[in-house]
Order: sequence, then structure tokens, then C-alpha cells
Amino acid sequence: MGGLGGPPPSPPNARKRRGGAVALLDGPPRGAASRSVHEERLEIPPSSTYASAVAVPLVPLDADAPSMTTAPLVFTGRGGEYFRIWVVNLLLTVITAGLYSAWTKVRKAKYFAQNTRLDGHVFGYHGNPKAILRGRIIALVLLGAYTWGFQFSRVAGLVTLMVLCAAGPWLFMRSQQFKLGNTSFRGLRFGFDARVGEAYRIMLPILVLWFAPAVVTALTADEGWQLGLVGLLTTLAIPWMHHRLKAYQHGRAVYGDRSFAFLGARRKFYGVYLKGAGLVVLAVLLGTTVAFVIAWFRGPASQFPGTGFEAAIYGGIIVLPVYVFAWPFLAARLQQAVWTSTRLGDVRFRTEIKARALFKIVFKSVMLTLLTCGLYWPFAAVALARYRIECVRVDSELPLTAIAADLHGRPVAALGEGAADTFGLDLGL
Amino acid sequence: MRANEFRAWFFSGRDGEAAAVVMRVDGERVVVEATDGTVRESEPLTTVMMSEPFDHAPRLITLRSGGTLEVEEEGGRLARALARAGVAVSPVVQLRRWWPAVLVALAGLIALVSLAYLKGLPLAAHWVADRLPAGIEGRLGDQMLVALDRHYLGPSQFDAEWRERLARRFADAATKAAPGVPYRLEFRATSEESINAFALPGGVVIVLDGLVRFAGDEAAVLGVLGHELGHVAYRHSTRQVLQSVGVGMLAGMLWGDFSGTAASVPLVLGVLKYSRGFEREADDFAIAFLRANEISIEPFYDVLVRLVEREERRGIATLPDFISTHPSLAERIEHVFKALDE
Ligand SMILES: [Zn+2]
Repeated sequence: MGGLGGPPPSPPNARKRRGGAVALLDGPPRGAASRSVHEERLEIPPSSTYASAVAVPLVPLDADAPSMTTAPLVFTGRGGEYFRIWVVNLLLTVITAGLYSAWTKVRKAKYFAQNTRLDGHVFGYHGNPKAILRGRIIALVLLGAYTWGFQFSRVAGLVTLMVLCAAGPWLFMRSQQFKLGNTSFRGLRFGFDARVGEAYRIMLPILVLWFAPAVVTALTADEGWQLGLVGLLTTLAIPWMHHRLKAYQHGRAVYGDRSFAFLGARRKFYGVYLKGAGLVVLAVLLGTTVAFVIAWFRGPASQFPGTGFEAAIYGGIIVLPVYVFAWPFLAARLQQAVWTSTRLGDVRFRTEIKARALFKIVFKSVMLTLLTCGLYWPFAAVALARYRIECVRVDSELPLTAIAADLHGRPVAALGEGAADTFGLDLGL
Repeated sequence: MRANEFRAWFFSGRDGEAAAVVMRVDGERVVVEATDGTVRESEPLTTVMMSEPFDHAPRLITLRSGGTLEVEEEGGRLARALARAGVAVSPVVQLRRWWPAVLVALAGLIALVSLAYLKGLPLAAHWVADRLPAGIEGRLGDQMLVALDRHYLGPSQFDAEWRERLARRFADAATKAAPGVPYRLEFRATSEESINAFALPGGVVIVLDGLVRFAGDEAAVLGVLGHELGHVAYRHSTRQVLQSVGVGMLAGMLWGDFSGTAASVPLVLGVLKYSRGFEREADDFAIAFLRANEISIEPFYDVLVRLVEREERRGIATLPDFISTHPSLAERIEHVFKALDE
């Protein structure tokens, strides 16, 4: 992990989180309801879009529905349309020196939510941009302290880490609350059952482990065996930390007055991460070989790794295979593990996501994004979102429409939301 | 179905039931009728919350009662009905609906980003660098030196007495030419005998054995050190560090999702390469430095020319700091050459 080089370690997950696709899927299971008993007198048969639904006459459904119904998710977003939204969003963000980014975030979330259909109905996003902006300003201050604290002095760095440990669990809890509380389906809000004590019990061990290498680096002058030991410990604990976080996120999610449950998949996480680590090693070997060959072709005068710009290029050549090969595998397998462990009452979830297909999409996206100087980015975000969303299946035995709304009328400050966004705490796997 | 009537789904917000209804935009009101014709809701258009139109997504219309309508656009029919009822469309939506406007916005975006990159960032970095506490700059330089020592640099092979003499000579010259520029001279060497000298934030000036041997002449070495002192005096390396942070934040703004900035903020050693303007300033500083000490500029000029010749023979991969890979190299040599005549 990143902490071995020197303080502060940058969370590796911060690099993985890209674009709207991820933001959309790392929430709770989206929605649940399939056909409801209550509706069956007038209900239109489920279909992927309202447009096709309204075209067929109203047909009463058999009251004794089959024991298991499966509802797929459909994504109706288009690359060209999102490209137009993206350009205008960016222009306004740059003109306003970043202030408008809170509004673009809301527009983007609305676009991806309203283009996601489950059983013919779409999701909604209702976040307040001003609250997000407030959260982001505070998060930026924390990020600045985190990045520059150790540059300033050892004490300042350690104090920053302590502040982060003290505030982190609360911020994370609030961010889940904000994100879920502002997501709706069939007129009902999702939510997050936030309890302060539990948040600290779950998150503190994770944060302490995460910052341990940075603390050891700060306290010992040389990078000795202590750092190696702590770094190894933290690295070995990554699957454990990730699982703990996912279990918390999914286990405390709420839809209407029903609670989600997370059954636990710790062993699966370790298995996936073990294989993933093998792939990362292979990818790094591949990248390093390519970089060496390039350096060799450029003649004996060129030094490997060189300095400055060259080092960045070589670094990119080494990191790219990791992103293209190892990330799709980890993402696909972890998503499978997470979804199959998630329940909403009788409703079950699964995803038919495949590492190979995800790899093809990521590979194409990376290549085209590089070739077009970044202009392909919104098309890539839509392609990735479509694949990840449309792989999800919602299975239920009992129709669940008549869920009474658990009122979520109180406004939620967006502080936590913005902070999780900046720190990349929102693990998108 | 009349022009102002739409099939819609109605969600009460109390339960998850989806009721098939007809939504009518009636003058300045939204009226929701059940399939049997009874009016379920009626509310002024001004108090409902309406989501923006998207090409393939339904509109979500939130009523004050807590109910939500899910209405398809029906190829723009809904937008037209709402426009007739006087619902304003935000300029942002109008802009992004029309491809030519989007392309103009894209051109504007590229122009703005270029402007920010070429002008805005250097200005901002300069402004911040001048206000940065000296302690932070010093610590930044020290950390970079530690990193360089660990991975690239070894101790100088010259004996202490010789180093002492050159350091004193440079100190005297610096006092004369640029008093009050705080710097620290460090001698280092690399295994490949790199020919290089560079300045780090906080005034650390590093000179490699390879450069001293290549220059051969004390006046030439002093010229190179004068150039590096110029980088120190103008805080070029601090400004460069700040600019690279700014580039990371700009890139994060464009392609990241805000969290991208977190990923790109950690500093890389990619800061040792200066812009053309910085090199020119440092060259001018070196010339003034040599003149103030009545040292000939010629040996310095000589080193520049010989280095270029050598690099042209060997390829451009090992160009030292004070000969950067910019195409303006010939221009820089010419610039110093002009100073020779004056
Ligand atoms: Zn220079």
C-alpha cells in the first residue's frame, strides 16, 4: 500500500474512484419493490419503460404470483447526452473556480439516478447543492491539512491525523445519511440508520490501521523494520477493513421503513483480494518490463527511471496495467460478493457482472480517453455505468409495494457527504 | 389524450404504491386525476419541484403534499406543454440541449483551461510562493533532498578542503552579487557521473561532481551556480511545486470526481524541470552575478554550448536542469551569447 514511501500514505482507493458510474453503484442496493399485492387491481404489467408500459392495455395480474420474481435494472443514459451535460458542467465549474462543482455533482447524480429503471420506475436524487458546497469547503480544509500537515511539522501532521480519526467516523456516517437520505425510489426515500457510537466502533479501528504507517514514519527517523512490520499489517488488513466498511454501509441502509441486512462475506473478500494481489503483481511486472524495453530502445544515455516528466510517463506505463487488468477483476468479484450478501427483507440481490467484460470496457475507455485527450471520458462513464447497473438483478418472493414510508423529512447537512467525496472514503467497489 | 394531458405514475410518499394517473397542466396548475376521473391533487406550478429534462429519463415532479409524479417526456411534448404554461427553462438546460452551443462551450472550456494552465497557475503559484512561510519551504526542500539522497545521489568524491574552498568562493560572490538570498550549497555525485546542478525549495543548491569535472573551469562552475542561485532568488522550485499541485487540482476538476484531487495532490519529483521563462530569468541572473564579480561570461557560455553538443550526440535523455529540453535551447544560448558582447 501507499504508506510505505513516506508520510502521509495516500489511500489507494482514492485513485480507484472515478466518474459517476461508481458513485451510483456504491450506495445501498437500489430499490426493492417488485409488483405489489395492493396494486394488482389496476397495475400495469411491469416492463422496462413506462412508454412501453402505457402502450399495453391494463391487464389484471394473477393474484398468486410465482414464488420468485426477478426484476432487472435498465440504464437509459447515452454517452452523447452525458457528454453535453459534462461539457456545460465543466465550463461552469472552471468559470466559478470550482464553486459550481456542487451543482454539477447534483445534476450528474440526478442524471444517473433518473436514467436507472427498476421494474419500470426510476430513482431520484434530491441532494441540496449548497449543503454539498459547505461540506466540500470543510473537506478541502481537512484535505489540505492532511496533505501538508507533515510538511509543516511532525506535531502538526500527527494532530491532523488525530483530528481525522476523531471526525472521520462521524463524517462517514453523515455522508451515508446524506447520500441515501437524498435518494428515492417510487416516492420513498432510502436512508441510513446512523448511530454515533456504532459509527466510532466500526470506523476507529479502520482509521487507526490506515494511518499507522504514517504515524510510524513520523515517529521513527529512518524507514526501518518497524515501518515494514506496520505496513505489512495494514496491507494484510485491507480486505478486513474494506469488508467492515461495506458491511456497515449495507447493513445499516434503509428503504422506507424496511432495513437492509448484510450477511457477511469476509472470507470471500480475502479470497478475491488474494487473487487480485496476484494480478497486481503480474500487472506491475508487465508494466515494468514494457517501461524497461522503452528505456532500452531510447538508448544507453537514458537513465531509468530518470527524473520529472519522464518518471511520470514511466510510472504511468507501470500503473496503467494495474488499472486495466487488476481493477476490473477486483471490482467485479467484490461487487458479486457484496450484492449476494445484501438483503432487504425477502428481497435478494445479485449481479451478473463479469471481470472479463468489465476489463473490455475499462480497456476501451482508457485507450479512447487517452487518444481523445480526455473527451471520451463522459462516454466511458456512461458505458461503465450501463454495464454495472444492468448486471444487477433483484429477486423477491413477496411483492413489496405497500411499504409505508419511514419519514425522512428532516434536512441533513451535507458535511459528511462532501468529506467522504474528497477523501475517497466512498469505496466504490 | 389532449395536448396538456399526460399519463403518469403517482407516488403518495406514504407508501410505495405506484398509481397510474393522468397529469394535466391546467393553466397555471398541475392537476392529478385518478383513472376514474377523481382529482387527487391540484397545485400551482410555482410551488412544485420539477426535475430537469433528460432525453430518455422521465421527469420527477415533487408536490407540496409529499407526493411525486413520474412523467415521461414523450419526445418533448411535456416540455412544450410546460413552456406554454410559462414554466421557465434554466439557461444551463437550454445551453446543453443544443449541440452547436455545446461545441462553443467546449471551445470556451479548452480556451479557459489553457489560459488557467499557462497564465493563471503561474501567477497563483507566484503569489502563494511569496507568502509561504520560510519554514515550510525549507522543510519541503529538505524532504526532497532526503528522497534524492535515498534514491539517486551519493556523496561527493572531492575532498573536503576543495569543497570548502569552492563554497567560500561562491559565498563571497553571492554576497557581492545578491546579498540576502539565503541558500545552502550541497555537493553530491551519482554513479553514472551525471552532469547536473539544481535548486530545491528553500534554497538548497546541489552541484554534482560530474558537472564540476565537465566544466573544468572555476569561472564556469560559478556561472552554473549563479544560474541555480537565480532559481533560488526567484523561488522557482517552490513555484514549480505549487504549479504541479495546481495542475493536479485542475486535472481532478476535469476528469476526477472531486476525489481525483485527493489522488493527484501528493508531490512527485517532477518539479525539477522549469519553464522556458524560469530558465531565461536564471540565465539573466547568472550573467548579472558573473558581471558583479567581474568574472568572464565566456566559460559559462562555453559550458552551455559544449553540453548541447554532447547531448545532441547522446540523445536528449540526460539533459541536466540548467539545459532543459525546451526547443528554446538555441534561443537561450543566443541570449547568453548576446551578453558576451555587451
Ligand atoms: Zn535552470
